[in-house]
Amino acid sequence: MNDTVDVPGLMIYAMASEIKNFDTVLHGVSSPLPVLAMSVARNTHAPDMGYISGAEGVDPVVDRIYPSSFDTRQNRNAVAYFGLHEAFDLAQRGELDVMFLGAAQIDRYGNTNLSVIGDIDRPKIQLPGGAASAFLMPITPKVVIWITRHSNRVFVDKVDFVTGQGYNNRSEEYKKNEVVVVSNLGVMNFKNPDRAMQIQSYHPGHTVDEIKEKTGFDVRVVPDVAETPVPGPEVIDFINNIDPDGVRWTEFR
Amino acid sequence: MKKVLTSLEEAAKFVKDGDLVTTGGATFHRAPMELVRELVRQGKKNLNLVDREPALDFDLLIGAGCVAKIRAGMLAFEVFGLAPNFRKKSEAGEIITKEGACQPIIAGFRAAAMGLPSLPVKGMLGSDLLEISEVIGGYKQVEDPFTGEKMIAVRAIEPDVAVIHVQKADEYGNIRIEGPVYEDVIKAKAAKVVVVTAEELIPTSEFRKMPEATTLPHFIVDAVVESQKGAYPCSCFNYYDADYDHIKDYLKAAAEDQFKEYLNNYVYGRKTDE
Repeated sequence: MNDTVDVPGLMIYAMASEIKNFDTVLHGVSSPLPVLAMSVARNTHAPDMGYISGAEGVDPVVDRIYPSSFDTRQNRNAVAYFGLHEAFDLAQRGELDVMFLGAAQIDRYGNTNLSVIGDIDRPKIQLPGGAASAFLMPITPKVVIWITRHSNRVFVDKVDFVTGQGYNNRSEEYKKNEVVVVSNLGVMNFKNPDRAMQIQSYHPGHTVDEIKEKTGFDVRVVPDVAETPVPGPEVIDFINNIDPDGVRWTEFR
Repeated sequence: MKKVLTSLEEAAKFVKDGDLVTTGGATFHRAPMELVRELVRQGKKNLNLVDREPALDFDLLIGAGCVAKIRAGMLAFEVFGLAPNFRKKSEAGEIITKEGACQPIIAGFRAAAMGLPSLPVKGMLGSDLLEISEVIGGYKQVEDPFTGEKMIAVRAIEPDVAVIHVQKADEYGNIRIEGPVYEDVIKAKAAKVVVVTAEELIPTSEFRKMPEATTLPHFIVDAVVESQKGAYPCSCFNYYDADYDHIKDYLKAAAEDQFKEYLNNYVYGRKTDE
């Protein structure tokens, strides 16, 4: 493994590879990794993607990222503004191809919790809220969940609260949409008839056994499980140039 | 009719105790912070706040004891983490939190803006959010009369007051927002009363030169007051960037039980004309 490739770099590269050329992609709030992944994708294999910033700029040249993913400096050289309500209209039409979402907890069917730990009426921990999760999770063709702290407190048997809908909480129509989970240990998908989480790849320096051990349910493993592809030095340089302050590390601390 | 006011103090009086209030902007950008600080100085009580993705504005009002209820898609401080006063008071049961989701909240504003009692949205089904929101009568499952598609109807959200900070306004209430607009146009049309703070008051003749740049015409707006750096420490596009160091100081004050000192230094200790 290239010594200069760190965990955010691996995750960003894995997230970027979920974007196809010509996809229309949106990122939300508090999303340094998605912003960097979208920028990497557009500068490598997806030059024709439609890039909608949570800050409302379309196809901006992101030359630097800031602690707020809505910072208007991330809209530089945008070709247009496209408001969130317009992006949501697109999503309802099935024309928003990829969305990136977070999770404080996730279970085997991909249900996510961003609402509360404990009871909803008197929470032990009041989480920030799911933002667009409950709306976009079922209806978006591909949702990429990024999780920076893979442990059995995050990958749980049962989420305390279903904010974003996993496959067992969806209508048949929406079961065809894909969910991909990119964590600090590996990449997981749900591409099996039961729509249950399975390990697709493990990051360099980690193993399938480690991921299984740090997952609070019996996670499956794809037969051809492999090491997660490592980005080349040009991708790492690109990320370092946009994020010289290391905003991408905040979620790992 | 001229709607320009001479002080933030007058402008803040449009907000009454117990009102349903929304604010313009999103997270740390173009939030009406100066007007929010004036609401705190006037000791508003039992406010019912609603917005898609608020941050510092709502957390400050919560920390100052102005808020009874909150409905938001997400209330957090971006990469800095959880909103400290929101978290504290919600966990202590001192405020009622009814989490919404961004799209239904926007749809609620849109319904009110269009003069409709409700608006259907896709998604949402299967989320536990529906159960908590049904408690407050926000959503109901419906079937489209033509296709039979199951959707969620969101009840119109008609704020008593929308408080919006903009770049430019004239004395009649024509306003120009530069850069991202967020849901500010929808919120203004949805609200019963619209209070605008503006970085600059400019002559009406400037609006007449370029009407396509006008974000909202005067009849939507009820009051206008000039407020330079009115979004600080949040950003105001074309005027100033967000002051992340100040926001970190706010978090530090809240974490170290120094929030009263923060309020004394940055809110109570300052008169509006300073």
